[in-house]
Amino acid sequence: MNHERLIKGIAVSPGIAVGPVYVMRTELPEITHRVISRDEVDAEADRLYRAVGDVRQELESLMKHTEARAGIEEAKIFNAQIAMLEDQEFLRAVESLVRDNLLTAERAFEFEALELRETWGQSSSATLQQRVTDLVGIQTRVLHRLLGQSLDDVLHEAGDRPAIVLARDLTPGLTVQLEQGSVIGLASEYGARTAHAAILARSMGIPCVMGLVGGIDRIRSGETALLDGTQGTVLIDPTDLEVADAYEREGLRLQLRRELESILGQPAVTRDGTAVVLRANVDLPEEVEAAAEHGAEGVGLFRTEFLVVGRTELPQEDEQAEFFERIGRRFAPYPVVIRSYDLGGDKFPAAFRAAPESNPFLGWRAIRVCLDEPDILRTQIRAMLRARASSDVRLMLPLISQVEELIRTREMMVLAAEELEREGVAFGPDLPLGVMIETPAAAMMVEELAGYSDFLSVGTNDLTQYTLAVDRGNARLADRFSPLHPAVVRLLKRVVDCAVCRGRDVSVCGEMASEPLSILLLLGLGYRVLSSSPGALPLVRWLVRQVDLAAAQRAAVAAMEASTTREVMDVLAQTIAERVDLNLLVAGRLSVR
Amino acid sequence: MNHTERLVTVENRLGLHARPAAELVKLASKFESEITISKDEMAVNGKSILGVMTLAAECGSTLLLKAEGADSEQAVEELAALLAHNYQEE
Repeated sequence: MNHERLIKGIAVSPGIAVGPVYVMRTELPEITHRVISRDEVDAEADRLYRAVGDVRQELESLMKHTEARAGIEEAKIFNAQIAMLEDQEFLRAVESLVRDNLLTAERAFEFEALELRETWGQSSSATLQQRVTDLVGIQTRVLHRLLGQSLDDVLHEAGDRPAIVLARDLTPGLTVQLEQGSVIGLASEYGARTAHAAILARSMGIPCVMGLVGGIDRIRSGETALLDGTQGTVLIDPTDLEVADAYEREGLRLQLRRELESILGQPAVTRDGTAVVLRANVDLPEEVEAAAEHGAEGVGLFRTEFLVVGRTELPQEDEQAEFFERIGRRFAPYPVVIRSYDLGGDKFPAAFRAAPESNPFLGWRAIRVCLDEPDILRTQIRAMLRARASSDVRLMLPLISQVEELIRTREMMVLAAEELEREGVAFGPDLPLGVMIETPAAAMMVEELAGYSDFLSVGTNDLTQYTLAVDRGNARLADRFSPLHPAVVRLLKRVVDCAVCRGRDVSVCGEMASEPLSILLLLGLGYRVLSSSPGALPLVRWLVRQVDLAAAQRAAVAAMEASTTREVMDVLAQTIAERVDLNLLVAGRLSVR
Repeated sequence: MNHTERLVTVENRLGLHARPAAELVKLASKFESEITISKDEMAVNGKSILGVMTLAAECGSTLLLKAEGADSEQAVEELAALLAHNYQEE
């Protein structure tokens, strides 16, 4: 593929659009400096408020349209827009510039608007920076009105015939307004998945790509383009073949989605009748419902860092206990495995921020922080013991590399239980303790670790990174990072064999548990509990149901004997291809990302 | 003149961004009292959504609510309750 024609961005709303591009320029208009005379002041102030009133009507009608097309929740975005438009403090400041400094309404408005845009744009808060787009959207409308134009005139051209609209920035208002025309796809240079415009495009089903850096300079109005909202790309001047390919991929994606929907609510059982337990990885509280809806049998990895990020101090025991209990009960009768803080690097509350380390992945993080600052861990242990009184929560420790870390945690658990007993606080004394196998050290010492713990869970991302000495965040090394490297395969085998022999529960909670080839390998090696992100659960469930366990076991034996990653991948791909169209899986990887 | 103030913590996980800020301002505007919200070194008018958004109050940050006026106590009471409310949203 010709790379000059392909522009990569962020996939924010799936689907394919092919057609002429309309490059829309709705930048803030240029305002010339002009002063007014004292007797024009009242009329000028009136003009300001009339323009605001007109824009309010525009926004209200967009809100109505959004309610009908996208939903009532989405339409609420416009409530905030209207409130921003009619902010009394802001308008009074503009009015006083008109009255005291004799500026025209548009000049005064732009003066105040610019100051606010700069304050927000320079904010350390990413959310506030993103909202500058919304602000610009409203301000552009008001300024257009004050200059005697309406944004409709600008949009009119765009709406004439079906087109992919490319803008510097997509505001919520613009997105909805364009949708009323005949737009077939949306693209912008700025923006992210969480932008209000992105939410609206998804609800209205318009393919959309954002973050097309330099797009406006590279694409001319009238050029034909292929916008792929699933992959997040725009291809200029596509060939018939490229268009056909894109539609085929999209067709496969939709076919896979139908397949996944068709097995909703059915158990994760292999073709030959072996049941597999599917749990969810939960990073944020709002993922809990998605996990439950997708039929997760509990949570295999509940991360607790969100409790800390963005706060100045660590959350108290009561808050944590209540929270753990609520999540635990939500998934009853299934377990919720809570991982103690995996703090390190930038994930630190201000009070604990340590000096920068030259090698943070090998530094003071996770269990090391928790044991060196035992109050942190003690609070979490006490909160979990308390939650355990009424729910099946379990404690799991990250980045274990020494048996002592486990022994010390056990001692702390005993002490914490004694304290709670003395204080007369209700708790469940039998809190299970698990170890994350994420380092080669832990994998090699798995017999001893199993002796001091109740369950094991393999964190495949870190295990791969530490085993292969490859930073998984380094794009240059991306093709060297593979959990299907024979070294990782052999460690995985070692862990599952030991767990089975010792009678310990064992699961996999890394990304491997949602990757088709890896799922086949894990089942073949003997893993029966997989924990994946809530969004990946339908795909994992579907895949498990396609697997023939005997074939998976044969593939795993071959993988154990392989000497290269390629060989492991080939044997797994061949095995899976007997049951599943591999093209579907490629499409699946796109849709579960 | 009645004066009431209280420290509150923002409970909404995504912080006080557009829609929660709009709700806060809507509530604040119902009161006669002048309402000031401050975070760290910055103080803004509690009836101005642009001001409240400028605070960029993330989840867990502490805000000082101040109200001056006849209904200051009720204003602080209700605003604090809204901020403590961990509403679900995108």
